[in-house]
Amino acid sequence: MKLKKVLIFSIFIVLLLTIIGCRSANEKTASQESNEKSVTMLFSFASKTMDPHQDWMGVRAGVAETLVRIDGNLEIQPWLAEAWERKDGKTWTFKIREGVTFHDGTPVDGEAVKASFERVLETNEAVSSSLKIESMEADGQEITFVNTEEYPAFLSELVHTNASIVKVEAESIGEQPIATGPFKVTSFISETEVNLERYEDYWDGAAKLDQVKIKFNSDGNVRALALQSGEADIAYHLPPESLEPIESNDKLRVESVPSLRVHFLLYNNANPALQDVNVRRALDLLVNRPVAVKEIMNGHATEAAGPFNPNFAFAGETEPTSYDPEMAEKLLKEAGYRKNADGKMEKEGKVLTLKLATYSGRPELPLLAQYLQGEAASVGVDIEIVTIENIDSYLWERQDEWDMVTYSNLTAPRGDGGYFLNVAYLPEGALNPGQIDIRELNELTEQLNTTADPEKRMELQEGAVNVIQKEVPHSFILHPHIIVGVNDRVKDWEPGSEEYYLITNKMDVK
Amino acid sequence: MRKAVSIIGSRLFQLIIMILILSFATFVLMKITPGDPVRALLKVDDVISTTDDKERVMKEYGFDKPILVQYVQWLWNVAQLDLGESIISKRPVLDIILDRLPATFALSVGGMIALFVIAVPLGVLGAVYEGRWPDYISRWFAILGASIPSFWLGLLLIYFFSLKWNLLPVMGKGTLAHFVLPSITLGIAMAPLYIKILRERLVSTLQSTYIESAYARGLGKGRILLFHALRGSLVPLVTMFGLSIGSLLGGITVIEILFSWPGMGEMIVQAVMQRDYPLIQGYIMVVGLLVVMTNLIVDLLYLIIDPQIRHGKEIS
Repeated sequence: MKLKKVLIFSIFIVLLLTIIGCRSANEKTASQESNEKSVTMLFSFASKTMDPHQDWMGVRAGVAETLVRIDGNLEIQPWLAEAWERKDGKTWTFKIREGVTFHDGTPVDGEAVKASFERVLETNEAVSSSLKIESMEADGQEITFVNTEEYPAFLSELVHTNASIVKVEAESIGEQPIATGPFKVTSFISETEVNLERYEDYWDGAAKLDQVKIKFNSDGNVRALALQSGEADIAYHLPPESLEPIESNDKLRVESVPSLRVHFLLYNNANPALQDVNVRRALDLLVNRPVAVKEIMNGHATEAAGPFNPNFAFAGETEPTSYDPEMAEKLLKEAGYRKNADGKMEKEGKVLTLKLATYSGRPELPLLAQYLQGEAASVGVDIEIVTIENIDSYLWERQDEWDMVTYSNLTAPRGDGGYFLNVAYLPEGALNPGQIDIRELNELTEQLNTTADPEKRMELQEGAVNVIQKEVPHSFILHPHIIVGVNDRVKDWEPGSEEYYLITNKMDVK
Repeated sequence: MRKAVSIIGSRLFQLIIMILILSFATFVLMKITPGDPVRALLKVDDVISTTDDKERVMKEYGFDKPILVQYVQWLWNVAQLDLGESIISKRPVLDIILDRLPATFALSVGGMIALFVIAVPLGVLGAVYEGRWPDYISRWFAILGASIPSFWLGLLLIYFFSLKWNLLPVMGKGTLAHFVLPSITLGIAMAPLYIKILRERLVSTLQSTYIESAYARGLGKGRILLFHALRGSLVPLVTMFGLSIGSLLGGITVIEILFSWPGMGEMIVQAVMQRDYPLIQGYIMVVGLLVVMTNLIVDLLYLIIDPQIRHGKEIS
């Protein structure tokens, strides 16, 4: 009887190995046949679906395109739409480029674009609420949108990858969307890999590469190892500590570009101590940005002066705050604090003690927190650090518990700062758990919300940044860099700050 | 046969009770732990929409109703074999899980093979050379295997086998070669307990009277070890496996993430981070079912492989 068990087990194993063996044989022949130009990219965030209305990968992989895009200077440029016009406060008309075809060869006109938008409004809550579309009308190559309210930021919201144009009649949009980009999907395994092949009739000139493979792995060290072993040509988001062997390898290079993200401290306005701008300024002066960039980010970051990437025209001209503990101490004294016998800052018998929340989702944030704790101690301010697993809900549900938090956000991912100003600073903003309420800033933001003229918007946003720099509701620390390892055989390619357009028709291999 | 039917019957009953308790406990725990699926859902990039939107979506998904009402609604759907839809990806939960299950299953089998390849020789060495150096090697290996974190071990294996010696792929799934490193990682992670149990069992078997009598009959040492002692000692390993299926599924998660293995591990980590309640709940149901089923199979296997149990139980 024991033999029987052994027998069953053996048969099972043999069957399994046969299945796996067959599969591996198939894959081998497929890759042996191709001696065409191809690139393998390794990305950190796995895609569940290729549906461009649900996931960024559609645009990232060069499969789908939006009406407008942002360029290297982070300014809005035409893409599928070659021109647009804002007729009144709420009405926009876009002219779709002639000669654009879907991957199945059918032309893209106003009707197709309208159908695509109808689909995204129905299937994507977030995009639907950020686009604020009331109605649409298609006429030949034109499409007209009417917003539910006056909404000048509509143009920049259209940059969102989920607002891309797909053929809605396609059978399996989740696996093989039919869109307009230089590449089409040949196969997709959810959260594992996507295989792409060139679309010959691409409107902007067929791609130089025949094939592209994008694989996903959430472990930064594995991505770095895969690049070194040659299994990947491009590896995204490498941890700084893994770069040394890549930098010393003459077949590989490291690209490092400032991202649209900013790491910052968020102050809780509910704490009376933090309502005093002198206290916030003092804490801001204790942040040693050059040291944070060099020691914590291994140099792969840019010091921050305000919320927005310094390449934006509206980011403001001010230099990042310099580390100045003496000035910090002076400001605290102005705020009424005195050093007590133990060397602690004290006011009305109470030592200045702040609870700083942090989370390990971004490993450098707890380090920044600890670093700040040390600096604060040197001037007699006590900082107590708590590490929270789910920071977002903590900030909202325990608003009375924390005083400061290390946070990180994309501040103008679509080339316009309006969104961040709205959500982070308006009293009802969804990203304002610190109850920031600065009248001057609110007024500027509200004015921005009804201004369409790009230059005027620029001015208003710059004005808002100035108020933020003066009032210090947040302390901006640094813009982390996007670190990408690239095999030298890849040419005509570099990562962009926006992280939207990873695969292009221009990229090539030696 | 009657025995088998009664085992299956009682297990099915246990299964229903267990699923009710398990599902209710996870349902309540999920709702009281901090985290908010609506926030995840409404996040465009990193920035969340307005608070008004949040309330609207809460209503739409019924998250504003009392937990008990939500639970009963969920249970009613499950009774109709509907595990619901993922909040984030909008796909049916059952489809998502069934997409992922085969890869996790294949890796578990790979890990088991690695486990047996590692644990049986080391366990045997430990028992046969009890107190001598092969025994120490075996024990040291067990301690080492138990104390090395899987993610680090995996990275180490990738570093040597893929990068230094260029023998195996770093990550992904597809060919037989892709199976090797994750299977070995999983095998080493699970091996220590099995080595220990096999060694102890073998030591006591080798001292038992029937082995002595086998020696007395003049049978060779190797033959006795292989055909008498080892076969009997493998039975507890089968039991062990039934018991450790739950921790196996936990441990496999780290390995799946490290090697980009498209199994349920990566899926559930994502789901937990985004508080995708229907998917988490569905996963727990499926895993719970698997654990119970495995134990049922183990019990039935006993009936086949160990006549003593069958006859003993039937007589009493």
